[in-house]
Amino acid sequence: MLRRLVLPLLLVVALMLPRWANAHDLFPGFLELKATAASDYQVLWKLPLFKGQRLPIAPRFPDDCALQGGLDSQREARALVVRTQLQCKTPLEGRAISIDGLAAAGTEVLLRVQPWQSNTQQTLLIQPEQPSATVPTAAEAAEQPGVWSYLRLGIEHILLGVDHLLLLLGLVLIVCDGWMLLKTVSAFTLANSITLSVSAVGIVDVPAGPLNAAIALSILFMGTEVVRFLRGRTSFTLRHPWVLACGFGLLHGFGYARGLAELGLPHHELLLALLLFNVGIEIGQDIFVLLVLGLQRSFRQLQIRWPVWVQRMPAWTIGCAGAYWTIQTTLAMVTGGA
Amino acid sequence: MPVLFAHLMETGFGGFYDGIAHLLITPVDLMLVIGLSVLAGQQGPAGGRLLLALLPMSWWLGGMAGQWLRFDTSLTALTTALLIVVGVLVALARRLKAAVLALLVVVAGLVFGLANGFTLPVAAGMSLDLLGVVSAVAVLVLLISGQVVVTQRSWLRIAQQVAGSWIAAAGVLALGLMLKG
Repeated sequence: MLRRLVLPLLLVVALMLPRWANAHDLFPGFLELKATAASDYQVLWKLPLFKGQRLPIAPRFPDDCALQGGLDSQREARALVVRTQLQCKTPLEGRAISIDGLAAAGTEVLLRVQPWQSNTQQTLLIQPEQPSATVPTAAEAAEQPGVWSYLRLGIEHILLGVDHLLLLLGLVLIVCDGWMLLKTVSAFTLANSITLSVSAVGIVDVPAGPLNAAIALSILFMGTEVVRFLRGRTSFTLRHPWVLACGFGLLHGFGYARGLAELGLPHHELLLALLLFNVGIEIGQDIFVLLVLGLQRSFRQLQIRWPVWVQRMPAWTIGCAGAYWTIQTTLAMVTGGA
Repeated sequence: MPVLFAHLMETGFGGFYDGIAHLLITPVDLMLVIGLSVLAGQQGPAGGRLLLALLPMSWWLGGMAGQWLRFDTSLTALTTALLIVVGVLVALARRLKAAVLALLVVVAGLVFGLANGFTLPVAAGMSLDLLGVVSAVAVLVLLISGQVVVTQRSWLRIAQQVAGSWIAAAGVLALGLMLKG
C-alpha cells in the first residue's frame, strides 16, 4: 500500500526536479571601468541575457557622474554589451558603485577597475547580499589580487550546477572499486580542464545551443547507464567508466568555459584567473565526490538496506532530469531561444 | 546573546548553502547534532538508523512551525538544557531504550527546528534555508553515527565520552551565563 502511494509521488518529484533546479548557467554581469583621465572612465557593461531577455540589473554611479556621448550597444549570444564614457566631478576611487536589481535577478556582477595612471586592474565580485562595492585606489589595486574572485566563481559554478553534479553522481554510482574511481575522476578532471582552457582563451568556440543540448544528453545517457548497472548488466562504458568520464569531461569543460569566456578574462592575469576558476571547479567536484563516498560508507556502517526502488531513485532522477533538459535545450535550439 | 547561539549566514551561494553554513557555524546546533549522533552510534546501527529517520524529519517540522508561528520568543533555556542532557548521556555511554532515544531525538529536533524557524528568513514556498539546515543535519548524523558504530578502539570510545562531557560543560557554561544575565 505504502509502496503504491510513495512510488508515484517520487516519480512526480523526479519529473519536477529539473523544472525546479534548472540546468545551471553562469550568468554574472560584468562592469569594467578604465580611467582615461583622473575622473573620466571608459565603461564596458555586459548585461546577461536569460532566454533572450535582459536581466533587470543596472549599475548605479554616484550622483555627480554622468554618461557622455551615445551608448554603443551590441547584442551577443548571451549578453548585451554596452560601451560608453563616464565623467565624474571627483574621481571614483574610494567611492561606492552599486548594482540595482541584483537580488531580484539572483545573479552577481564582476566589477573590474583600472584606476588612473595605473597598469593594474582590480576585480571585485558584487553579490546580491551586498550589492555595492568601493572602487579601489591605484595603490589598493596594486596590492590586492582581485583575481581570487575567480576561485569563488569556480566553486560556485559547480556547487550550483545541478546538471554537473548529477553527472558526477552517476559516475560515482557506476564505479565499484577505489582505483577505478580515482582513474574516472582524474579523467573527468583532466578532460574538463583541457576544454575549459582552450575554450576560455578562445582557441575553440562551441555554439551555446548545441553544447547545452549535448550536455543535457550526456546526463540522460548517464541515467540509462546507472539503471543498466543497477540491473546487473554491463556495457563498454560500465567496463571502462574512465573513457565515458573523459568524453563527458571534455563536453562539460566547454560548459564551464562558456560563461567564463563571455564574461571575459582579465588579459594581464589570464592564466591565473583561468587556473583559479579551474581549481575552484575541482575543489567543488572533489567535495561532492567525497561527500557521496562518505554517505555510501555510512549507509553500509549503519546497515541500511534500501528497497530496490529506493536504490533506483538516483538513476531515475538523473535520467528524468537529463530527458527534461534534453527536450528543453533542443526546443530552445530549434526555436532560437538558446 | 551568548556566542553559542543564532548566526545568520550569507554564503553568497544561495539559501540552501546559507542553511548548511547556518548549522555549521551555530555552535549549540552543531554540538547537539554531534552529541546526538555519537549517542545514537553508541547504541549500535539501530540507534543510528533511528536517529536518521527521526531527527531531520522532526527538525524540518519544527522549522516549518517556527516559520509559520513566527512569534518572538527565546528557546535558549530549553535548547541549552537539551544540550546538557545529550552531553551527559554521551559521557555516561549508557544503553538507552529505543523509545527513550526516540523521544529525546524528536523533542530535540522539534525544539531546535522551532528555534531555527524563528531566525531563518521566511520563504513563500519551500524554504531553501531550512532545507539546507535539515540536509546538513541528515548528512552529519549519517557520517558521525556511522563512524561511531564501527569504532572499536577503547581510546576512541573514551574520546567520545570526553567529547560528551565537553558538550555538557559548554551547555552548563551557557546556562550559567544566561542565568547571570
